[in-house]
Amino acid sequence: MSLNREPSPLAPGPKGVSLAVFAVALLVVAGIAVAGTAVYYATRTTAPAGSLTVTDDLGRTVTVPRDPARVVVLSPSIMDSMYRLGLRSHVVGVDCYAPAFGGLTADYSSDQIALWNLSQSMCVQIAPTLNAEALLNDSAQLVLASTIVSVADVEEISTTYGIPVVMLQPPTLSGIEIDVTLLGTIFGVGTAASQLNAELQVGLASAASLQANLTDNGTPFPTVLVTYSTDENGYWTFGPGTFGESLIELASATSISANSTLPYPELAGETVLIANPDYLVYGTGFGLNLTSYQSAPFWSDLSATQDGHAIGLDSNFLTEPDPTMILEGLPALIAVFHPSGST
Amino acid sequence: MSGGATSTDAPPPPPARRRSVWLAALLLVTAAVLLFSPLVGSIDIPPFRVLEIVLSGGGAFFNPCAGAGPVCGREVIAVWQGRVPEVLLAVVAGAALGISGGALQGIFRNPLADPYLLGISTGGTLGAAFVFVLNVGVTDADLVLPLLAFTGSVLTGLAILAVARGRYGSVETLLLTGVALNAFLSSILTIVLLYNPVGSIQVTFWLLGGLGGASWTRDGIAFGGILVAGSLIAIYGREVNLLQLGNDVAQSAGVDARAVRTRILLLASLATAVAVAFTGVIGFVGLAAPHVVRRVAGSDYRIVLPGAAVVGAAFLVAARDGSYVFSYLAVGGGTVLPIGIFTSLAGAPFFFLLLFRRRRLTTMGAS
Repeated sequence: MSLNREPSPLAPGPKGVSLAVFAVALLVVAGIAVAGTAVYYATRTTAPAGSLTVTDDLGRTVTVPRDPARVVVLSPSIMDSMYRLGLRSHVVGVDCYAPAFGGLTADYSSDQIALWNLSQSMCVQIAPTLNAEALLNDSAQLVLASTIVSVADVEEISTTYGIPVVMLQPPTLSGIEIDVTLLGTIFGVGTAASQLNAELQVGLASAASLQANLTDNGTPFPTVLVTYSTDENGYWTFGPGTFGESLIELASATSISANSTLPYPELAGETVLIANPDYLVYGTGFGLNLTSYQSAPFWSDLSATQDGHAIGLDSNFLTEPDPTMILEGLPALIAVFHPSGST
Repeated sequence: MSGGATSTDAPPPPPARRRSVWLAALLLVTAAVLLFSPLVGSIDIPPFRVLEIVLSGGGAFFNPCAGAGPVCGREVIAVWQGRVPEVLLAVVAGAALGISGGALQGIFRNPLADPYLLGISTGGTLGAAFVFVLNVGVTDADLVLPLLAFTGSVLTGLAILAVARGRYGSVETLLLTGVALNAFLSSILTIVLLYNPVGSIQVTFWLLGGLGGASWTRDGIAFGGILVAGSLIAIYGREVNLLQLGNDVAQSAGVDARAVRTRILLLASLATAVAVAFTGVIGFVGLAAPHVVRRVAGSDYRIVLPGAAVVGAAFLVAARDGSYVFSYLAVGGGTVLPIGIFTSLAGAPFFFLLLFRRRRLTTMGAS
């Protein structure tokens, strides 16, 4: 006879009491869960004192603190608006890659880092994965993000860590003004926002005026290719509906990719060769320079490269939907496409 | 030895006359695809203009633009410096992948072996990636790139060989080793790319596969490499036939099975490396081409190996044309669809067909 015999798996368990205890425990857990959820939603839908409710670019309704002192910015384009509104001192963290993958320099140019006085210690890693705990270290009261941060990450920040996230991803150039206004409202700098928007409107009006002059004079718009990257197959460029394409139109030029059905097409080398644009603008920075582009197909066969009409421009001017795009990028493109002015 | 060794997975050899007809048809199709191909590109150039440009040798023999508008000069560049080298690179790379696939399937006696599935292509890509990511020899990329791609491919091939020759070197182990190596090397590649986002732009081209890097110089280098590796592989047709009967039979016929496998693996790695270095990772060509030849001409590797080169060339050239047509239908033309995407689109259904056919044959054999 064995003294250590195990009970049969088919043998009846301890009687009655354990089942009752189990049922009560289950009810208690369920009650706590329901109550917790109710409290969570009750507090979430009631704006605390000193806060305001805003609608962001994705149509999300977000309750944010008024004039938050500790803000994390997860996009260079938003940082640009914050700086121009005089809100740099509110920013305690910015997006970056892991140090091994470039850190701050993976998303911010050296000029931006210097101008905005950014440092590695402000780094909130968003790639390869979001380090949401860094937001807690920063004691962030508000996160301003664009769609470079995934929806899942936004959910994690706002739900798990309880930090409100406002998404600023303007769909069009005019959306930049809307975002500036929104930031002015959140931070109580409505006057500065109005002034910045007035500057943006002047920039846009100036471009429109040039366009009207050229049209009145019957001057044809130059054909252009604006590329931000190339490989051995062709040239990556902007298609309809993108900020790059809008800038080109505002700069009174016709993009050779204007009829593309893709927002960011890669034009084949021979397509560019036959279209033979009058001007070619290539994005620089982030390790890209003239040499990077010269290995693109048929580069040296293009009239633009032979005539000295291939010009490098800071990639940020072309890709970041922010005030700088209108205040500096647009005039820079106009200067390239219309070197002699509006006549 | 008649050279008619039959793989257990292969269909019975067709009659000699039918085989000849099929082979002739294959060659005709290949020739037709080659002639047709320069007519296809991302933009519309009149077919007669393309023919004139090709026949004139890009203007070397006569002026194809006599009386034509100024755009003709650009069309000459597009066709003679773009399309023709691209088609020729497709021929060379397709032949390389086809004969490599045939050789690997032969020495491993495995109808599913090919440079892509076994990770040899990925190994080559990893080698090529170092050129851009570490800025090694970028100025001499035409030479350094194939060298590093070759090193990556050969090391991968040797790793597989070590497993295949080991105690547990069954067909299943071999395939799983290849798949695992492929995943392993892909992970390393991803890490390398993450460390260098700028270099990753160029490497992405290799990962998706493309013919955009074609030039007369590169075609010449690739052709030289493939001519040497391909010819040497084709010479081993008889030995590969004997390997199908098992190591013992091969040994008794005077074939050093181990040495032959090692040599062919190295040569197949060289051929794959040359293709990978200039076109990136292009899947399914090495898998599909030998199977097509075996279906048509039987399992004699003296025919399968060169035949796979011909079919591989035709397949890749056709895939090039198909990718342009697909791009035109999908987004209206003007853009590029990396050819590696298209070969996988066309190759994956073939792979399924192969699997189901094998299952059907197995079921029939059991009943």
